[in-house]
Amino acid sequence: MKTIAVIFGGRSAEHDVSIITAHIPIIDSLQAAGGFDIWPVYITKVGDWYADKAMNRLAFFKQPNYEAVLKKQKKVQLSFDKGLTLVWPGLREKKVKIDVVFPSMHGTYGEDGSLMGLLRMAKVPFVGCDMASSAVAMDKAFTKQVLVAEGVPVVPFTWFTKVSWAQSKKYLLEKISTLKYPLFVKPVHLGSSIGITKVKSFAQLENAIEVALHYDDKILVEEGVEDLIEVTLPIIGNYELTLASVERPLNKTEFFDFKDKYLSGGKGGGVNSEYSEIPANIDAELLKQVQDLGRKTYKTLGCCGIARVDFLINSATKKIFVNEVNTLPGSLYQHNWKKSGLSGVKLVTKLISLAEERFAAEQQLTHTFSSEILSKVGGPKVQ
Amino acid sequence: MNTIFLKNFLSRYSPKYVRSLVYMMQASEYHVRDFVRWYLRTLNFAQVEQRKKLVVTPKAFVFLSVGYLVLGLLYVFVVWAVLVGIVWWKYLLSLFVFLGAPIAIVITMVGLLLVSRYIQMPVEYFIVASAKEKLRMHPAHKIAVAGSFGKTSMREILKTVLGAGKKVAAPPRSYNTPLGISAFVKSLKGDEEVLIFEMGEYYPKDIKRLCAFVQPTVGVITGVNEAHLEKFKDIERTKKTIFELADYLGDKPIYVNGENELAQKNGRPTDLLYSRFGVGSWKVQKPKSDVSGTSFVLQNESSKVSVRSQLLGLHQIGPLSVAVDMAADFGLSLEAIERGISETKPFEHRLEPRTDVQGITILDDSYNGNPDGVRAVIEFLSSLRGGRRWYVTPGLVEMGKKKEDVHKEIGAHLAKAGIEKVVLVKNSVTPFIAMGLRDARYSGEVVWFDRALDAFAALPNLTVKGDIVLLQNDWPDQYA
Repeated sequence: MKTIAVIFGGRSAEHDVSIITAHIPIIDSLQAAGGFDIWPVYITKVGDWYADKAMNRLAFFKQPNYEAVLKKQKKVQLSFDKGLTLVWPGLREKKVKIDVVFPSMHGTYGEDGSLMGLLRMAKVPFVGCDMASSAVAMDKAFTKQVLVAEGVPVVPFTWFTKVSWAQSKKYLLEKISTLKYPLFVKPVHLGSSIGITKVKSFAQLENAIEVALHYDDKILVEEGVEDLIEVTLPIIGNYELTLASVERPLNKTEFFDFKDKYLSGGKGGGVNSEYSEIPANIDAELLKQVQDLGRKTYKTLGCCGIARVDFLINSATKKIFVNEVNTLPGSLYQHNWKKSGLSGVKLVTKLISLAEERFAAEQQLTHTFSSEILSKVGGPKVQ
Repeated sequence: MNTIFLKNFLSRYSPKYVRSLVYMMQASEYHVRDFVRWYLRTLNFAQVEQRKKLVVTPKAFVFLSVGYLVLGLLYVFVVWAVLVGIVWWKYLLSLFVFLGAPIAIVITMVGLLLVSRYIQMPVEYFIVASAKEKLRMHPAHKIAVAGSFGKTSMREILKTVLGAGKKVAAPPRSYNTPLGISAFVKSLKGDEEVLIFEMGEYYPKDIKRLCAFVQPTVGVITGVNEAHLEKFKDIERTKKTIFELADYLGDKPIYVNGENELAQKNGRPTDLLYSRFGVGSWKVQKPKSDVSGTSFVLQNESSKVSVRSQLLGLHQIGPLSVAVDMAADFGLSLEAIERGISETKPFEHRLEPRTDVQGITILDDSYNGNPDGVRAVIEFLSSLRGGRRWYVTPGLVEMGKKKEDVHKEIGAHLAKAGIEKVVLVKNSVTPFIAMGLRDARYSGEVVWFDRALDAFAALPNLTVKGDIVLLQNDWPDQYA
């Protein structure tokens, strides 16, 4: 029986979403699959670590006082001795050796590569993207820079930090003036739609930048897409990729204010509209381009395990742009996989075997080599 | 092993113990025999109340109060005896009382149940006698439905179809005991044109007694099988009890399910046999059924109706034909009959379809727990196309000594029908289904779960768009 640690929670704005992803579908599907010893590892909003099987039930987190319940428990510690071991220290010390880790964290201190770095150090197989791709994908500006360098189309953009805005505002505004309105101003690290503003004229620009800088110290300004269709494509795999259906979110309010949404006359409209269209009803040529660009983006960023690529399409000119990459899609985008023929159980067990496959390949690499450099160092130069 | 034993033992001292006992009484409808059997079979009393919750009716309240009071007194006595136990035998006595308290409570409750029954008896007799008189004077057609299975579906079909042209009344849900029926009779206004009664049979003579009470003018026998065999012991006795309806009706019309072997064999030449091929002079043509409903044409020498029902499965055609024949007899127009049939739809948890947002179709047949129904439903499932088919079951209860045969047959049937996935809940009967599957060289996948609730929780994670999931029979707590 394999022992799986599902790590969730964490110091992130998406803390609660992470709890849901961990349970639906990860823990639920692992339980349904059978044959796994599942250890839920929960990181509180202040960064304390706990592991207790009672947390395998989502109901545990629905108790209004669950934080108080946890405080009475012993915190769990991690040991990196020959892999990853959960340790509850004390007189009756308890240890559980982990075979595979299933990270289920969104946003900062988790999805951004921090946790992956820790797991690399621990030498334990883990599900999903590695440290480097997670870190790049977490930064919207980095993502675009990497993609541009590899010839993947993205909308024209510029970026700057809080410090440079304070120092050379005029220069930056000039740089922005080369972009075509409407513009979008976004904090580079935040998920969901926090701090994002659509700017239609220069008069609104500074205010939007200040809002974004309130949330992040690095921001992105980019051109909006006319006649916009947004689609997203979940992908799994390491070397051989499996694509889910191209999905078109129908009630996404991220880039739309009410008026825009109303005027754009989306299908069904209002509260009665469906959550999303799976597969997206776009023409076959566009669909194929989205799939090809999805594959290329995934490989370019070095994603493995699972990721989701978001696209912006100008429906009039049929131009496609890659918008961003999400290395841990909420609830693994299980609703889409299910409609694409992959059940929750198949999805999580596949992801675990992909994690093991990547880990095994990594072990084949030589990470050290012997040198004589130490013995040659000596004399007065070394102090 | 020892900790389980200890847990089971301690569950008799849990604060929930009395509540569990009252719940078990309520769930077994205050039948002493069923309650005692359940009690003797139960190991852990902290875990009996799972699927339903105790409803605190006045009756349950009395049992709860008496239970907790007596238990409290016994424990007070134990503490007292220990505290003042200067003499050695007082310690022994308190230990004895402590160990005996849980069983003493059961004896007290069973005693209370028997006493209450004797108090109720004359009152009940009076209530039933007055209802019987009111029924005797009532001018409506009185239809009685008897059988080991399919009674509720038959009642609902008749109610809906005849209701398209007549004023119809029937006791709600499972009001099929004399007291239940009396309460219903009391509510009648007198202008009803058709009354439909479902006749529950648990022990021999039950149907005879009910017939004398409701005085039916038309009868329907839906079939005889192993349902409730544990109570009847012998299928012959089940058959005899159900056919007490035919004995009562004599030469009045009686419809008998021709698709059920035992019922058909026992029928008389004058009986109206019904099946998917028709009833009486009505012949079925162009039968068709899928997840959206069932359609067919019925024709006899003088008339022809083309009907479509929301009920699923070709096995529904027989009962629907009975409704058509009866409606024609009662003078309903063909239009009214067609309208009535179009309004028939699955009763809750009886092959009730729903498709979720993920595109997975669930066929909820959790109230169907009899071999004939199961056979019909597997046949229906195997006729469906377009996705993988899942069959989820904990097996059937109350099959008595037929347990092994019935379940092996289900396995063989599933294998033959080519159902892709079979989900079984671990218990005393499902290994026989697995055996049946193996013997018939089943080529699909069998998935096991420890508890039915685990299986239900897991299913959303196992299925994909297009899948069709049949939930067959959900065991009530007293069989878990």
